[in-house]
Amino acid sequence: MNTEIKEQNGTYYCYLSGWLDTNVAPQFLEDIKVLEEHIEMPIVLDCEKLVYICSLGLRGLLKLKKTSADKGGSLVLTHVSGEVQKILTMTGFIKLFDIV
Amino acid sequence: MESIVFLGFNLYAWITIVTVLSMFTVLLFTKLRADLVFLGAIAILFVTGVLDAKEAFSGFSSTSVVIIGVLFVVVAGLTHTGVLQWVVKHLLGQPKSYSKAVVRLMLPVAALSSFLSNTTVVALFVGIVKMWSKKLGISPSKLLIPLSYASGMGGVCTLIGTPPNLIISGLYAENTGTAMNVLATTVPGLFCLAVGVLSIIAMRKLLPDRQAPEAAFESTSEYTVELLVPSDNAHVGETIAEAGLSHVRGGSLIEIVHFDEMSSPVDDDEPIMGGDRLIFAGQIDEILDLKKSHGFVNADHHVFTMSEVGKNRQLRTAYVNFGSSLINTRIGNSTFEKDYNLTLVAVARRGKRINEPPREVVLQAGDTMLFECPPKINLNERDLSSQLQFFDSAQVPNIGKKTFVSTTIMIAMVALSALNVIPLLQCAFLAAIAMLLFRCCNVDQAMKAINWEILMVFAGSVVLGVAIQKTGIAERLAFGILDVCGTNPIVVMLAICFVGTFITEFISNTAAGAMFFPIMYQAAEQLGYEPYPFLIALMVSVSSSFATPIGSPTHMLVYGPGGYRFSDFMRIGLLMNIIILFANIFITTIVYPLTPLNP
Repeated sequence: MNTEIKEQNGTYYCYLSGWLDTNVAPQFLEDIKVLEEHIEMPIVLDCEKLVYICSLGLRGLLKLKKTSADKGGSLVLTHVSGEVQKILTMTGFIKLFDIV
Repeated sequence: MESIVFLGFNLYAWITIVTVLSMFTVLLFTKLRADLVFLGAIAILFVTGVLDAKEAFSGFSSTSVVIIGVLFVVVAGLTHTGVLQWVVKHLLGQPKSYSKAVVRLMLPVAALSSFLSNTTVVALFVGIVKMWSKKLGISPSKLLIPLSYASGMGGVCTLIGTPPNLIISGLYAENTGTAMNVLATTVPGLFCLAVGVLSIIAMRKLLPDRQAPEAAFESTSEYTVELLVPSDNAHVGETIAEAGLSHVRGGSLIEIVHFDEMSSPVDDDEPIMGGDRLIFAGQIDEILDLKKSHGFVNADHHVFTMSEVGKNRQLRTAYVNFGSSLINTRIGNSTFEKDYNLTLVAVARRGKRINEPPREVVLQAGDTMLFECPPKINLNERDLSSQLQFFDSAQVPNIGKKTFVSTTIMIAMVALSALNVIPLLQCAFLAAIAMLLFRCCNVDQAMKAINWEILMVFAGSVVLGVAIQKTGIAERLAFGILDVCGTNPIVVMLAICFVGTFITEFISNTAAGAMFFPIMYQAAEQLGYEPYPFLIALMVSVSSSFATPIGSPTHMLVYGPGGYRFSDFMRIGLLMNIIILFANIFITTIVYPLTPLNP
């Protein structure tokens, strides 16, 4: 599991890759704290290389999404497919996120 | 082969002994179907030459086995026309003391069981007795054992009341050419019933005073319930606090299991996700209200929308049967729910909550399970009914004209047979035809009522009895008993009945009847007495199995609903065995004085 965050033209891009399971989820939650510091800015989570996401990972994303909305920012998920899409559909989270 | 003799038995006798012992070991310790085990035993006896073809298949043409088969149809007519319901409605009443309640319960049950299948009677009465006991303020565990005992003692009162009576009387007719009267056991049976009722009242303190298992589903914090969050649930994404689940009326949320089996502590900030399994502890009706208020569902698999879960599903209580393949398994690890379209909602054990999610509970015999079922589930499905005992009053027939017709047919059958106007077999056939002609039951109901497994076991029991007699085992055992007991006929009768009473705790009453018939018959003849009274005493004793829940199918029916333990039956049952044994010998020898055989 790898989390790479880049800022480009005022938008924060977070590239997620690999298998986000319960073992690596605490590190993932730690990594995305950087985004919380810029939560009022537009955030794009690129899930193209993300293979799996566990409930703890989803919890982190949901928290980020709620905080972003509260602070007037925006959070978008891109390139969602495969297993991750299935998980988002099954958990009903697919309706909670803006997915492009 | 007959010349090889060891310990007084030839090789054929040893093959029979080993076969019979193996058969009962298999029945006790495995879950193989009883009819297959009996058929296997017959096959061994036939292939090894112990029995010839005619003897090996004699059970299938035995008059008593045919009578039992035909009586299934007669009983179906009575059952489907509401005779049982009529008795319940008019006879139970509102007695003011426990003693009166026992009498009001045991006498009608015994009367019905003397004509109907004991199991049918008890199965219907269990639910009614539970409601009745609530009304009377008596614990159901104080009334359900008497209910089961009454059916056993009532069954003895007529030859058609219980299969061992038919088997023993059939074998007697084959040996002597004289048929027994259908009411031959009535007086001894009634006397033993009276003694039994009085004994139950006198020993009432030995019956446990236990809370009904379903009470767990009515009282607070005594069980766990699992609800599932559908993907499209309105509360998805909300925290536990936001969804109003921090404080649930009548209980509390104790665990959340997410889709990835990650179990989370119940934190107010924990988000709700589709696919979550929410484990609650508390009062069942209040918690199940969350289905309406929050859109949660009972389901054994993930659901995306509530519409996937059938509407009009009903809650039904079931008890895990003895011998059920569910024992020592977890529902969550099996396909049981999917196979039968049932959803497990809650599990309780002897009225106590089990501190695990319902699907994780390792089940035991007698556990109470609450299921959500489709409205038209076939609760009589063979596989399902062998695993769980459901209590369902939805299919209770109405009492009407046909109730009177079916009762008249039954009384006519008994009267014609008792007065020796028409032999019992013909009477049974006429009654069965009349039940069909008068539409007391339809052909489908009649065919479904015939329990082929039981018939095969009866036929097998008859064949085993033949082998025991033919190989000289019965004679040797009879001599052995005479050596130990001397030549006093009462002592010999008592000794054989004593062994029969305890053997029948572990094997079917019918098999015990078939096996002990030749021994009792030979012993009586060796003593120089007419075997008739000895066999009447034997009929009562092989049906007197009170000390273990596996002693009779009716005990198993009340075991779960009464919240009983195995030892509950032993505490009162051992004494009952002894009391009824002495009552039996006493009354039988008075009604049928021992008479020496004509030289």
